[in-house]
Amino acid sequence: MAELTQNEKRLLAILEKEKKADAPHLAGLLDATPEAVVQWAHLAQDNGFALVERVVAKEFVYTDEGKNYLKNGLPETQLFRFILPGTTLADLQKHEAFKIGFGQLRKKGLVKVNGAFVEKVLHITDDDTIQKDTDLNRGNDYGAPMDADEAAIRNPSADNPRTKELIKRGILQESETVRYTIAITPAGLALVKQGLDLRGESGTLTRDQIISGEWKNLNLRKYDVSKLPKKAYPGKIHPYQRIIGEMREILLEMGFTELYGGIVQQSYWNFDALFQPQDHPAREMQDTFYLNETLPLPPGYEKVKAMHESGGETSSTGWGGIWKEEKAEQCVLRTHTTSVSIQYLANNPNPPVKAFCVGRVYRRETIDTTHLAEFEQLEGIVMDENVSFGNLLGILREFYNRMGFESVRFKPSFYPYTEPSLDAEVYVDGIGWIEMGGAGVFREEVTAPLDINYPVLAWGLGVSRIAMLRLGLKDLRYLHKSDVAFLRETPSLRPNKGGI
Amino acid sequence: MAVITLPYKYLERLTRTDRKMILDKVAFIGSDVERIEEDHADVEFFPDRPDLFSPEGVARVMRGYLGIETGLSSYPVKPSGIKFTIDPALANIRPVLGAAVIRGVSFDDESIQSIMSLQESLHWAVGRGRSKVAIGIHDMDTVKPPFHYIASRPSRGFIPLDFKEKMTMTEILEKHPKGRDYAKLVKDFPLYPLIVDDDDHVLSFPPIINGERTRVTIDTKNILLDTTGTDKRAVSVAVNIICTAMAEAGAKIESVDIGGVQTPTLSPAERTVSVQECSRLLGIGLTATSMSELLRKMRFGAEPAGADTVNVQVPCYRADIMHDWDLFEDVAIAYGYDRLESQPPKTFTVGKPHPVQVNAALAREAFSGLGYLEVMPFTLTNEDVLYKKMQRDEKKGVLRVMHPISIENTVVRTELLPLLLEFLTLNRHRELPQRLFTVGDVVDSCLTYQQAAGVSTHPDADFSEAYASADAMLHELSIEYTVKESADAAFIEGRRGDIISGGKKIGVFGEIHPTVLNAFELEHSVAAFEFDLRAVPGYPVL
Repeated sequence: MAELTQNEKRLLAILEKEKKADAPHLAGLLDATPEAVVQWAHLAQDNGFALVERVVAKEFVYTDEGKNYLKNGLPETQLFRFILPGTTLADLQKHEAFKIGFGQLRKKGLVKVNGAFVEKVLHITDDDTIQKDTDLNRGNDYGAPMDADEAAIRNPSADNPRTKELIKRGILQESETVRYTIAITPAGLALVKQGLDLRGESGTLTRDQIISGEWKNLNLRKYDVSKLPKKAYPGKIHPYQRIIGEMREILLEMGFTELYGGIVQQSYWNFDALFQPQDHPAREMQDTFYLNETLPLPPGYEKVKAMHESGGETSSTGWGGIWKEEKAEQCVLRTHTTSVSIQYLANNPNPPVKAFCVGRVYRRETIDTTHLAEFEQLEGIVMDENVSFGNLLGILREFYNRMGFESVRFKPSFYPYTEPSLDAEVYVDGIGWIEMGGAGVFREEVTAPLDINYPVLAWGLGVSRIAMLRLGLKDLRYLHKSDVAFLRETPSLRPNKGGI
Repeated sequence: MAVITLPYKYLERLTRTDRKMILDKVAFIGSDVERIEEDHADVEFFPDRPDLFSPEGVARVMRGYLGIETGLSSYPVKPSGIKFTIDPALANIRPVLGAAVIRGVSFDDESIQSIMSLQESLHWAVGRGRSKVAIGIHDMDTVKPPFHYIASRPSRGFIPLDFKEKMTMTEILEKHPKGRDYAKLVKDFPLYPLIVDDDDHVLSFPPIINGERTRVTIDTKNILLDTTGTDKRAVSVAVNIICTAMAEAGAKIESVDIGGVQTPTLSPAERTVSVQECSRLLGIGLTATSMSELLRKMRFGAEPAGADTVNVQVPCYRADIMHDWDLFEDVAIAYGYDRLESQPPKTFTVGKPHPVQVNAALAREAFSGLGYLEVMPFTLTNEDVLYKKMQRDEKKGVLRVMHPISIENTVVRTELLPLLLEFLTLNRHRELPQRLFTVGDVVDSCLTYQQAAGVSTHPDADFSEAYASADAMLHELSIEYTVKESADAAFIEGRRGDIISGGKKIGVFGEIHPTVLNAFELEHSVAAFEFDLRAVPGYPVL
């Protein structure tokens, strides 16, 4: 049983004496509105202490026109009384009720027009249109002739078809009134007999009450604990940022140094230093966002040029052809964060290097539910003496395991700047194997011109793919054009079920 | 990516095993099975392996991988005695020619389709849209050797493939569908490349279209292959891939004399590789013998030559083998990625977050404490949102992308506040108050740095709230600042302040101007602020 409110108690105390009463009466006694009393009564009813009875009464009220007719008779009655032997139609037309009344009279068959004269028709119809011709002629106690309509206007009733007719004529209006009768139940009576605490309730505890000790005498309002009074929305981190944060933390735990770099990159660092041939389709305008900016090539770019053209001093053949400086100087919105990690490696060629970078990357793609022109990429690199392709698999397995994916597998793949290359797949219950990202060992064509003398293990992954799976999104755009309700409702902690 | 259609019957005959075995294992050599149909499968192969763009090529590698036939496939070539001359005038137009005679082919509709699609895939993957390489195949029995690769006047005409009337080359570039597609490759030259036979009949107008006269049909028995281009290596790879695929299907290959050189030879390239280097790279213990075996499984010729050395014969169709490590990848594939020992490296290292991200995380924490909800807007936006709606002048360092995908994504953001207002527009129907923040990259010319911005909207949002929130954020990030009256038209006059730190304006706060609210279709007042995170002590110089 829920705790009774102060008002319920007051109501029950009154009802103990009244037993059963209607709401307005109780409202008077309780110094409240009838609506409030009914609300309290319903609460008491939910607790089994009162019974609320709802009585719906149909009432008929008179329109302004109706009020007039009630006093002066219906227009046809008024006309009927006006007609005397020898009354002409012209006379009758002067009567103010003529417009409405004459049609009704004709419809009821009470008059006929005989030449210029109007005459009363005296007859009794079987549907009691005229109670008695004499009545109509003579009038009755009300001082008006009495037909069925006259009776209905005086005493409207829902059963009388005439009443409906009057409603149609706009003389009467129907209205419903709801009345509530409230009665106390035996359980209610028993409760009142036990005694009710009728002290006034306090909503808030004031400083004075706390200091003075007055709080001891207070009856603090008790709340219904089953109902949340108001929702509060905390400020918080975006669920997608939280996933990025989780990945960062895993990599920091695994001993990686975090990198940060610009989103505008020279083609040189985005492509050429990564041995992406200058005529590679990914470098075309329809795949990459080019900017109307150039940056001068860094010192030592000639080695990269030589590598492209002839393989430099390695066992490679290079791509052949002529490597053009202008192409490498062109700035692009980075298509991968590898442009950041390769610069870090070039500046830090001494082993060991373990680094990662999470950042926005750009591809000139047509935007739809699963493709965005910009998305987050996470990328890691490990450079050390004697690190192997097998170590790369080990790092990936460890990372995905820590993300919650228990089963990880690898298959051959192709990336222009890694050899050997692989794709990592994880198993998700209910979905199956999902491709998560690519990895490989940087080609010697990448490392040699930058004087990086040890193998570099590199891997990347699309963060948004995991976010989409975890947050159950059908549209990737939702990550960046989010509904505030979605952000408010997505809890900060989401139990990790097998990575999802 | 190239998706190759593999008809089961043909593939089974060539591979000499059943389809299930092939489809189960084909992913392990580097592919994605896209579709399994009743009579064929569509399998996607990587662009570095154009030799797998035909059922013949797939069968060849699968026979090795499944142990049915390992080692080098050799393709005998005998001279056809046919000559091809090259016009020196082509030197600056399209100088490289490769050719071969392929005898004894037996086509049906399916195998013609297969050779056509190999040709198309090669145009894409090796030919870079026919610019580096274009391939033509002709019915050999309709033409008369020797052949001549010449530079011809564009007014010369012939009947192009799929047409009935003679057209000039100029007309072909204007009217023929292939002509229109590839016109850009030749139209700026005064003379166009043309291949003719000894009777001056046109075989093809490379890289555009063949002549109708030499069309290959199911009755064709002998083929003349012409391959023209700008890159010698690419041309020769294309010739090798087509010839060896046709040889796998049972044809005999004959060479052609081009300027005194017999081509193709279809002979392997030699490489001597180190077993130790391969073992170290892959993290597996190999011997010269085991490594040779693994290479033979991938259809290389491989023989141990001492304890640490393997002599490898690289088949002529393997365009991707540029470096020893390319061979080592094949060793890994033959060994099986699933069998590689996967252990993280043992070197001890300590993780270290980047100071920019540490700052960003602190800003997020402080914003959250103030009751702000994080959003992550796109970084690509447009001038209308960034400047026009904000009543602001365009920033000097704004970067426009050269080929935007839509009018909504024309520039990289230079500030964050307008994007937050856009968010408020998007969420007008949601419960108030709404307090949103974002922390992220903006650009000034080629320089990327981070800013932080917050907006608060509800009926009582005002200058005081903007000031208080900005102050709290700046304080939490230890940015010492003063405030000057601002002139930023995005805010209401007298209700806006510039944040000054280190003698520079680093941000702004205030009550958003009603004109701006109208522009963003917002109905409640907005208290807003934005500041440059480079003002945080210790922000690294990038």
